[in-house]
Amino acid sequence: MSALDRLPSGRGDRALLAGVACLLVGGLFALTPLQADLPSALYVFVEVGITFVIYGMLVLGLDLQYGHTGLVNFGHVVFFAVGAYATAMLAAQDSFSGIALGYPWPLALLVGVIAAALLGVVVSATSIRLRDDFLAIVTLATAEIFHSIFVNFEGTFGGNVGILGVPRPIAALVGDADTRLIATLLVLGGFTLITLAVVTRLTDAPYGRVLRAIRADELVTRSVGKSTITYKTQAFVYGAALAGFAGGLFALYNGAVAPGFFTIQVTVTVWIGMLLGGAANHRAVLAGLAIIMGLRLVSRFGLSVTPVSGDVFAAFRLLVVGLILVAVIRYRPAGIWGDPQELGVDQ
Amino acid sequence: MSLLAAEGLVKDFGGLRAIDGLSVSIDEGELVGVMGPNGAGKSTFFNCVSGVIPPDEGTVTLDGTDVTGDPPESLAHRGLVRTFQNTRELETMTVRDNVRLAAPDQPGERTLPALLRSGSMREREETVRERADELIETFELDHLADEYSSNLSGGQRKLLELARTLMLDPDVLLLDEPFAGVNPTLTREIADHVRDLNADGMTIVIIEHELETLTDLVDRLVVLQQGRLLVEGEPEAVLEDERVIEAYLGGDAE
Repeated sequence: MSALDRLPSGRGDRALLAGVACLLVGGLFALTPLQADLPSALYVFVEVGITFVIYGMLVLGLDLQYGHTGLVNFGHVVFFAVGAYATAMLAAQDSFSGIALGYPWPLALLVGVIAAALLGVVVSATSIRLRDDFLAIVTLATAEIFHSIFVNFEGTFGGNVGILGVPRPIAALVGDADTRLIATLLVLGGFTLITLAVVTRLTDAPYGRVLRAIRADELVTRSVGKSTITYKTQAFVYGAALAGFAGGLFALYNGAVAPGFFTIQVTVTVWIGMLLGGAANHRAVLAGLAIIMGLRLVSRFGLSVTPVSGDVFAAFRLLVVGLILVAVIRYRPAGIWGDPQELGVDQ
Repeated sequence: MSLLAAEGLVKDFGGLRAIDGLSVSIDEGELVGVMGPNGAGKSTFFNCVSGVIPPDEGTVTLDGTDVTGDPPESLAHRGLVRTFQNTRELETMTVRDNVRLAAPDQPGERTLPALLRSGSMREREETVRERADELIETFELDHLADEYSSNLSGGQRKLLELARTLMLDPDVLLLDEPFAGVNPTLTREIADHVRDLNADGMTIVIIEHELETLTDLVDRLVVLQQGRLLVEGEPEAVLEDERVIEAYLGGDAE
């Protein structure tokens, strides 16, 4: 497979083309009177699809950090949250809780990305030298601290209510609900595909070779003249900025942010998606994420066909998802599409 | 003038003084062997010189510049590269990628050229590939080029490590036990490579237990004991030195 010989090639450029195409078609829906018709049974699928493409940006950033560079980030949600809150607070027109500054949304989105990247810089500066497991603890703690701040500083962040009145650029252009959903999915999906193209270019280049070398053995990488701290910081900050971008887009799609959207559940979902698909393989982590999110979605419908109560079914559903994960770890420890040799996993 | 000089190096690990006021100087183009019983401080000496651990006292100068405590990556840029006692491969990477990684001055290792696939990155990568394949061939690893390095045998790992360091085209090469756990044929082969490199002008320092190979190979032997310099000089003279014989055979006879 091409992992053996990564010459910068056309890989990833198809994703770029597809991404641009999605943006264009999405823009067509948004800017012209063109309308889409969506059967109501599909609503839930499109909505989960939108969440999937947003989380897709998270998992691609996380894969750059963990899959390629070996940085264990258990607090990925915090960068997503900071991006979302910064965008929301700057762009919100008027919110009855928290700060609403009413700036134009593109500026707010940019600030959201920068805020998340800055937090990434701060966490890197203090902790990137730590050994894997310690970095995991620091990132986990950072996420919990920020969650607590968002809940408790009600005057600034709106407490449990969060920030409301965030402009929704796509909703503002499209009145019709069906068309709006389709256009949102296409535009956000387009961004995810472009993200995929960007990280693929980065990791296919000699840059990615250095990242994978750091994951394999940092001292060796240093002794052949690579400044590993710089690379680790960059990978961490890029992942954080991507999560901030995803957060900003989420705020502008959702129209509101609240602590409930940014729980540890988000981190857990993207981690499971990454490990399920196979770390260090961009398309695999997206597929893994699709599987875990798809499982949760499909199993919801199971309630209507099983003769048990809702409580029992909820517990049963978690059990099934857990069993599938156990099976994957047992039989495919490197993930479904992961390369055991590349990841150094014994089979 | 000496190319690499350590002056009064001291390194403590807790209560243990691993090296104690060690001064060694190596001239350009020399091939020097460092030997001594276990625990004499050979590897600590290498670690201090190559920036893996900073010395507590003393200075290291490379080509007239004070490089004490400089990290390995900046020493590599200055032309000093080392290998490790227990071969350290990038096991999750192929033999090819192991060697290519070490290439210096690849613009594609920066974000923007990597994202833009700049022409300079592609051109550099072409030469990197050629050079890496040359080295892989020189060390007779070409049939394993696409193999993950975790699948290599001990001897092949030593060769790979050597190929990887040579990708950097160093001025000074520090080899930490390049013959340990290697069969006699391969030992001769590695020794030949070392000799050739030295003949081409590379300054080489070797730590080794294998006395016979070492004495045949080097211009000068440095013997360490308990973190200090015991004897140095021509290999034949050093081996006949009573202090050396005592250190190796006598052990406690003081």
